Amino acid sequence: MAKLVLEKVAKSFGLVNVLPGVDLDIEDGEFVVFVGPSGCGKSTLLRLIAGLEDVSSGDILIDGDSVTHVPAADRGVAMVFQSYALYPHMTVRQNLSFGLENIRMQRPEIERRVGEAARLLQIEQLLERRPKELSGGQRQRVAIGRAITRDPKIFLFDEPLSNLDAELRVLMRIEITRLHERLGNTMIYVTHDQIEAMTMADKIVVLRGGVIEQVGAPLELYNQPRNAFVAGFIGSPRMNFVEGTIGEVSGETFTFTSPDLPAMTLPRRTASLAAGQKVSVGVRPEDLIVSKGKGSGWPVTVSVAEQHGANSYIHCSRPNGEPLLIHQPGQSAVERGDILNVSPVPARWHLFDASGLRIEIEPGQEMAPPILHTAIQ
Amino acid sequence: MSTTNWVSRAGFGLMSLPARVIEPVMSGVQRLIGIKRMPWFFLIPNLTAVMLFALLPVLINVFYSLTGSDRLYPQDRPWVGGRNYETLFDCTNYLDPSTCSRDLFWRALGNTLTFVPIQVVCMIGIALITALCLNREIRGRGFFRGVFFFPVMLSPVVVALTWQWILQRNGALNGIFSAIGLNPVNWLVFPNTAFFWSVFVTVWAHMGFYTIILLAGLQAIPRDVYEAAKMDSASNWRVFTKITLPLLRPVLLVVFILSMIRSVQTFDELYILTGGGPGSATMLMVQYIYEIGFAIQPRNFGLAAAASLLLGAALLVFTAIQLHLSRRAQNG
Ligand SMILES: Nc1ncnc2c1ncn2[C@@H]1O[C@H](COP(=O)(O)OP(=O)(O)O)[C@@H](O)[C@H]1O
Ligand SMILES: [Mg+2]
Repeated sequence: MAKLVLEKVAKSFGLVNVLPGVDLDIEDGEFVVFVGPSGCGKSTLLRLIAGLEDVSSGDILIDGDSVTHVPAADRGVAMVFQSYALYPHMTVRQNLSFGLENIRMQRPEIERRVGEAARLLQIEQLLERRPKELSGGQRQRVAIGRAITRDPKIFLFDEPLSNLDAELRVLMRIEITRLHERLGNTMIYVTHDQIEAMTMADKIVVLRGGVIEQVGAPLELYNQPRNAFVAGFIGSPRMNFVEGTIGEVSGETFTFTSPDLPAMTLPRRTASLAAGQKVSVGVRPEDLIVSKGKGSGWPVTVSVAEQHGANSYIHCSRPNGEPLLIHQPGQSAVERGDILNVSPVPARWHLFDASGLRIEIEPGQEMAPPILHTAIQ
Repeated sequence: MSTTNWVSRAGFGLMSLPARVIEPVMSGVQRLIGIKRMPWFFLIPNLTAVMLFALLPVLINVFYSLTGSDRLYPQDRPWVGGRNYETLFDCTNYLDPSTCSRDLFWRALGNTLTFVPIQVVCMIGIALITALCLNREIRGRGFFRGVFFFPVMLSPVVVALTWQWILQRNGALNGIFSAIGLNPVNWLVFPNTAFFWSVFVTVWAHMGFYTIILLAGLQAIPRDVYEAAKMDSASNWRVFTKITLPLLRPVLLVVFILSMIRSVQTFDELYILTGGGPGSATMLMVQYIYEIGFAIQPRNFGLAAAASLLLGAALLVFTAIQLHLSRRAQNG
């Protein structure tokens, strides 16, 4: 059992307030991913949990006991560093057993644990090598193995895959997910890569400037982002935002206008709309209905059509020059310079107010399930 | 055209001038000797200096050690073969310097063999402790770094005179002693205290240099390796012995070899501080070589050359052994 609770955990370095106060509950056995742009305090939060930094204020509880003033080694957590931080002068075997020797574990037990971790990670044949004789991926495995031998309550990973090449990253991603399924420990994983977050997490914590923007399951964040930041950060390619104002509001519909675009009538799905209110409409690239030529939607000009074969990414520009991206499954017939007419798929668009907060949809008016195909009509 | 523009153009023109001259010279040379030998060509300035000021003197020394008399010019010196070496080794009992014809050589050798290990061990130990302290997040770290490095920049003569002023019979240290009611000690008059202060002053004067090297070595150890060790429940002592020392070993080796060579060369500070005294208690090899070659009449260049070659050979062997051992340890 390892339930982690953060209560108003704050950290400042000198005058710089990196984390103003984080409240978070992590359940036993969960795979939680901290995601956010570089410098938003993910590593700092992880290092506070590890005990490598002291909190400025607040409390950290593991299984209900405060560990805020417990030394790192006694918290029952193990960390995998971004740089691996292997002991360069020790063999892999020594790297794995160093922590166990430090707590005076019996030799046979050490051997057993090292053997088990090595088998689990398929590094048995590397045990007598030094880190410099290993490839990046092998070093990564050793670093994870070192954490496993300690049998921690909680695993902490700080961007563990960022030094690997793209192909290996995908493999290790799957392997870490499997490892979590086998071991069942609580794992906290830091990354700035939202794909890693989406694919690995039970629960994603989106951070910006040391503040938690939203906590939720991956698709929950994708479908119901609480604000424009989360909406823009989760999902690749990024969500399109069209800024404008609300025109007429009637019983069933409202009109949305942007200076460079024709007014668009959208179904009204919420009560809290006022004429003249500044809002932005967010539409994911795959949630656009596209047709060639003139129509009642927004006219955009194709600037680049990226054909990936199985997918097409059509980079367009609006009349005012701002970009708009369309994602279509399959191959596309559009060419540079084509004028397209686009409009959001019904109930697959988001509305954000001037401060970026999501304008909530009324109960019974939830987002439609994502549609799987939006080919040119 | 603005002034800066003009200046930069002029500067650029000047800089390209040597290039215009050098380029044809270089390509000429390359055509002459072939591209494979070009590295040697680039090494010529450096090699010339090494030849002129290191290798040539050694060869001259070999010649002088094989010739006799107090004449300076090579053509005036008669060939004596190995007689200078025989003289140095002319002893009835090698364990008792007074039975040797050159008893001072053996005393200087004995002193050096005592001085060097003690001084090197003290030097590295103290420099390492200082570096470890300076490597922590302490207030005024830059200031202390400066303080410990400062003596290195002093002239040896200044170091020696300062400490003489502190240690002499009516010096500063005895002043403090009598102020707090202790009996003054004539530090430089007794062999044991004179030897102690010889080690102390030379360590004090050179420690900062090795501290800086060790500090650089310590700072090259990645911080997250220490953090990993912390997560791995390593005690401070285990971190020091299992992480810091092994990772510092290449730097320690450099420091060890440098400080040992420097220690064997010790001359100027002690020559002024103790003059090798009392008696010959602090006379080291280099001072012996200096005295026999230049200070005592008639000047015996041959014997001095022979002694210095022996010293050089000993250093060479010792360094080679040290390097060999450490390489073996590193690979094993
Ligand atoms: N030891 C430190 N001293 C001062 N500032 C720090 C320190 N560690 C991190 N910071 C600052 O805290 C902020 C968050 O850093 P970090 O947690 O490493 O971000 P992330 O891991 O999300 O990229 C950054 O602005 C960084 O400059
Ligand atoms: Mg980070």
